[in-house]
Amino acid sequence: MSNPLADMEKPDVIFCIGTNMTEAHPVAATRLKKALARGAKMIVADPRRIRLAEMADLYLPIRVGSDTALLLGMAHVIVREGLIDREFIATRTEGYDALVHHLQEKTPAWAESITGVPADKIEEAAILYGASDKGAIFYTLGITEHICGVENVQSLCNLALLTGNFGREGTGVNPMRGQNNIQGAGDSGALPNNYAGFQAVNEPENQAKFEKAYGRRIDLENGITKVTALEQCGDTVFAMLINGENTVVSDPDMEHCIHALKSLDHLVVIDIFLTETAELADVVLPATSWAETDGHFTNTERRIQRVRKAVDPPGEARPDWWIISQLGQRMGMDGFDYDSPVPIFNELCELSPIYNGIDWELADNGEYQWPIPYRGHPGTPRLHEDEFVNGRGKFSFTDYRDPAETVDEEYPVWLTTGRRLESYHTRTQTGRSEGINELLPEETLEVHPADTARFGLRDGGWAKVSSRRGAVEVRVEATRRSPEGTVFASFSFSDVPINVLTGSGYDPITHTAELKVCPVRVEPIAERVPAAAD
Amino acid sequence: METTVAATETTRTICGYCGVGCSLDLVTRDNRIIAVQPAFDGPANAGALCVKGQFAYDYVHHPDRLAHPLVRGEDGELRRASWEEALARATQGFIDVLEKHGRRAVYGVASGRTPSEANYMMQKFIRVGFGTNYIDNCSRA
Repeated sequence: MSNPLADMEKPDVIFCIGTNMTEAHPVAATRLKKALARGAKMIVADPRRIRLAEMADLYLPIRVGSDTALLLGMAHVIVREGLIDREFIATRTEGYDALVHHLQEKTPAWAESITGVPADKIEEAAILYGASDKGAIFYTLGITEHICGVENVQSLCNLALLTGNFGREGTGVNPMRGQNNIQGAGDSGALPNNYAGFQAVNEPENQAKFEKAYGRRIDLENGITKVTALEQCGDTVFAMLINGENTVVSDPDMEHCIHALKSLDHLVVIDIFLTETAELADVVLPATSWAETDGHFTNTERRIQRVRKAVDPPGEARPDWWIISQLGQRMGMDGFDYDSPVPIFNELCELSPIYNGIDWELADNGEYQWPIPYRGHPGTPRLHEDEFVNGRGKFSFTDYRDPAETVDEEYPVWLTTGRRLESYHTRTQTGRSEGINELLPEETLEVHPADTARFGLRDGGWAKVSSRRGAVEVRVEATRRSPEGTVFASFSFSDVPINVLTGSGYDPITHTAELKVCPVRVEPIAERVPAAAD
Repeated sequence: METTVAATETTRTICGYCGVGCSLDLVTRDNRIIAVQPAFDGPANAGALCVKGQFAYDYVHHPDRLAHPLVRGEDGELRRASWEEALARATQGFIDVLEKHGRRAVYGVASGRTPSEANYMMQKFIRVGFGTNYIDNCSRA
């Protein structure tokens, strides 16, 4: 997030797009509720009438995958109505004149033809956000899990740059990160293009820095993404070490994923349960869970916080850092003889400019948000206050393009996927927690009541959902949360493996899968055939 | 009649679910979590927790937890092994692939669920061990 969580209580106008925050980030959503109680206005754009949409002053029911068109239409209105921040544009941005030219044809009527949202609602949203003093944008995977995820984010940045909504309290462009330490995973250099602290691997000076630190020269070229690696299993990739990820259930196109992992010569999985992924491994190494380990998580607002061991792990389970240290030592690698997580974190801090100002002791009370460039620096709750990292903010000349697959006669319904409040990801944890498991015992396909009639389905009955990649059977729930022509399910339940269906395409730059859009066919079935998934 | 109950302990930590990073206190007794209490001085949550953070912790003590290393036996089934055997087997597999297919044949997938120390070690293992950048985490799917 560009801004701290505390800022979520401060905007005059909140614009949420592609975020089901009350279910996926419930505690963050409480801050938005406080802002609304104070009198802030909220715009929500989402294909589904989620709880956040019910709370909104203005709800924009966009067709799945049409976000860029909506955002271009809003930018058109902001420019046309003169709701721009001229001083901010003049001093902190570049490319404004070219953007104005680019937006000429992107009228609200054009946006309506793609998104299905009435042009007057698009005008209203643009004027509400554009005229606010403090406008804040929040988004989640509904923006990024598309083949055009990068354009979606750039289009959001255009709106904030046009209106000067960066670097101030209650503003910003704020992605809500989905996992407890997904930010920290990137910070720590578990990326094919960056060393720790987002230092590009293709910069010779970074290569030299890490050659000195690690005693080994590392390739100047980027590695491949996980998506590419899975495609190359058995072709160029023959061994994998997977730590704490249930790839088989969480990734798109499950059959492809299982086939890929099975074609490896050697698969080692470190995890806390024998997940569907671990079942395919040659060696499974038992790790400590979150309550059994010491270390750090970095949250969505870039706050580095200490995780503390409260109980002993079962049997012989060991901390992840210890397991990987052992693997390194036994392969004869230098610099793997750690006896605690403390020197590991301190090494990460020393090598990462954004963590340079802290160490294990200083991070103890969780007060620091990166960047913390030097000792004594207070941390950076709010990014972009005086200038952007690369100087000026660049406008992007984005355009709408169709999802990888679009509905047709054979697959006439849009499927979109997501999360539910009571389950987490592939349910390796929440599926083994009794109380919460009672709250949400099974997956359902959410279908608009008019569509249940149209497809011959029955509320509470069973349906077969098919895509170009496979089919799953799932219980039907008739609900107006789904618009007509679009159905929804989560990917959490392994007996309803929704990711058998997905996997139509990827964003070409980030390789993020288009998990939010998948054309399907929905048919009634009399009774569910016992699952063969396990 | 006297009853003795073991004392409870409290450990301040961070929720293990989403990226908001709520502070909470784990209340433990006899090496088991018996309750979760929201931290009112938590910078991200100021005393709030959701239904997952507050209640979904008993997986930690679930009998399905992996308590021993496993290796795939001659019969194709996973069987219990010692750490010594499992680490030797894991290591030998990487060495064999390295020798047979070269250093770009080994790939690492790190986790958005594990601490940063685990992520740091994963990338260091790949970069120091194989000299490549063949490492990613689960943020793309």
